[in-house]
Amino acid sequence: MSEFALEVENLVKVYASRGKAPIRAVDGMSFRVPRGIIFGLLGPNGAGKSSLLRMLSTLTRPTEGTAKILGYEVVKKPIEVRKRISSVIQATAVELFLSVKDNLLTYARFQGLNKAVAARRADALIEEFQLGSEVDRKVQDLSGGFRRRVQVAKVFMVDTPVLFLDEFSTGMDPILKRQVMNLLRAEVEKGRTIILTTQILSEAEELCDDILIINRGKQSARGELNALKQLSRGVYDITLAFDRLPDTIQAEIAELTPIRFTVEGNTIELTLKIEESRVMDVVSALSRNRHVLRVEVRGASLEDIFVELTTREGKELA
Amino acid sequence: MNAISAVVYREAKIRATNFTFIFWDLFFPLLYMLVFGVGVNSALGAPTGIGNVSYNEFFLAGILAMASFAIASNTSWSFFLDRDNGIFYEMLTYPMSRSEYLLGKVIFNVLISIGQAALTLVVGRLVLGIRVQWTKLPLLLTAMAIGTAGWFFFYAIFALRIRRNDLFNSITSVFYFVFMFASSMFYPLEPLPAWFRTAALLNPITWEIDWLRYTSIGLGNFHSILLEGAAFLVFSLACFAYAVRCLQQQE
Repeated sequence: MSEFALEVENLVKVYASRGKAPIRAVDGMSFRVPRGIIFGLLGPNGAGKSSLLRMLSTLTRPTEGTAKILGYEVVKKPIEVRKRISSVIQATAVELFLSVKDNLLTYARFQGLNKAVAARRADALIEEFQLGSEVDRKVQDLSGGFRRRVQVAKVFMVDTPVLFLDEFSTGMDPILKRQVMNLLRAEVEKGRTIILTTQILSEAEELCDDILIINRGKQSARGELNALKQLSRGVYDITLAFDRLPDTIQAEIAELTPIRFTVEGNTIELTLKIEESRVMDVVSALSRNRHVLRVEVRGASLEDIFVELTTREGKELA
Repeated sequence: MNAISAVVYREAKIRATNFTFIFWDLFFPLLYMLVFGVGVNSALGAPTGIGNVSYNEFFLAGILAMASFAIASNTSWSFFLDRDNGIFYEMLTYPMSRSEYLLGKVIFNVLISIGQAALTLVVGRLVLGIRVQWTKLPLLLTAMAIGTAGWFFFYAIFALRIRRNDLFNSITSVFYFVFMFASSMFYPLEPLPAWFRTAALLNPITWEIDWLRYTSIGLGNFHSILLEGAAFLVFSLACFAYAVRCLQQQE
């Protein structure tokens, strides 16, 4: 049995459609994921996250390269792979005509779970996901948020060693999201491996033990959060709140070529890649002869790294 | 086997939640026979050139074939529903092969069609006095099973290849018209013009109907029925193989 939950080697996915140029959604990715961690796949829209997940979950075949789940190749041994995975795909995948409870029980049946165990787990999850009041209602009569709960609850019915979550928190309220995140942590402590995609960087920052940033189908950066932050050493978030927004401030900031820049009311937020010794010079230059109410300087967040990497590659490719 | 039974369980669960589904599944061919069949039988009497057979008796096989055709078409449409709400793609990651998924779906539909056929035969005998050849019942039920499976695989190809619901509906409407009317479903082929008769003889639903007609009321020639049955079996297997291929190409 492989020591890795996931092994990807030169994986390529090309979508060809008649009369259009082929799209390389995944372009030669190679990486390995050890067992028992939460692995985050991050990237902007169209980066190739979902395509990658679809190949890993045997939903679509790679154009080139190989991918293995717990040592089983996704193309050659798809059934062995499917026995070892559970997936939450991006769309709200639920049985619309079935009740909440029947959704859970039907899923358990597909996964070969014993009837008594399935019933016990379904009851526990209905409570955990606060679905008690809706348990006998058909899912088609529930709101989008409740449907998402049902979908996510399903993967906790079984103990498959690898779990794929594609934007799992979409449509969840913050309290439930927090609960699910705690559940995911607990599952990892039991030895499961979780592969998740997200665009919510705070979520990845909090959950993931290891992160892969992808853009335009290629790997941009890989590592645990602190290692990634090293990649972006010299990136600083600066916040300045004025009593009144100076007229020339936008032009002044543009000259500094920030990675990001926002103005909200009388507050500006900018992300700069500069030497540490120059940070205070910039702050004092922007504050000179102005009434500043608040100044804040922070080191790089995952969001900064993400933006820097993805925009830098965009410029390089342009 | 566990995967196939899970698909059958899922289909049964979905049908059982809706009274309209159950009613339609059980009574559709029966209502057709009672309304359309009795109407034509009363107004036009027995069709020409087929001996001492009433229209109700003649039409029985047509109704059974129509039922298997309708079940196949309706169930294939459910691919769209499943695809639209995402469950289709999630199901493809469950621990089963693509052929097990299709077989599970078809087994459930075959069970429904056999139930429909049994009910239609009993009511046809009791209410309309149709002289059913009960000794050939196993052959008739086999024909229903293979007929339903064949048409399901045939429609599944289109449901899986076509992405747009409206286009699929248009195509199935054309199929309904062409397959049903260019066949021996509503009338005997003998009095028809040669080109029409040729088209009908090339139509797989004619093969199914002739098989059902022979096994229900004994009308037809055994050797030609055997040939038509074999041809329909080949048609069904070819459709199954291609439907599995289409399912494997879902992205």
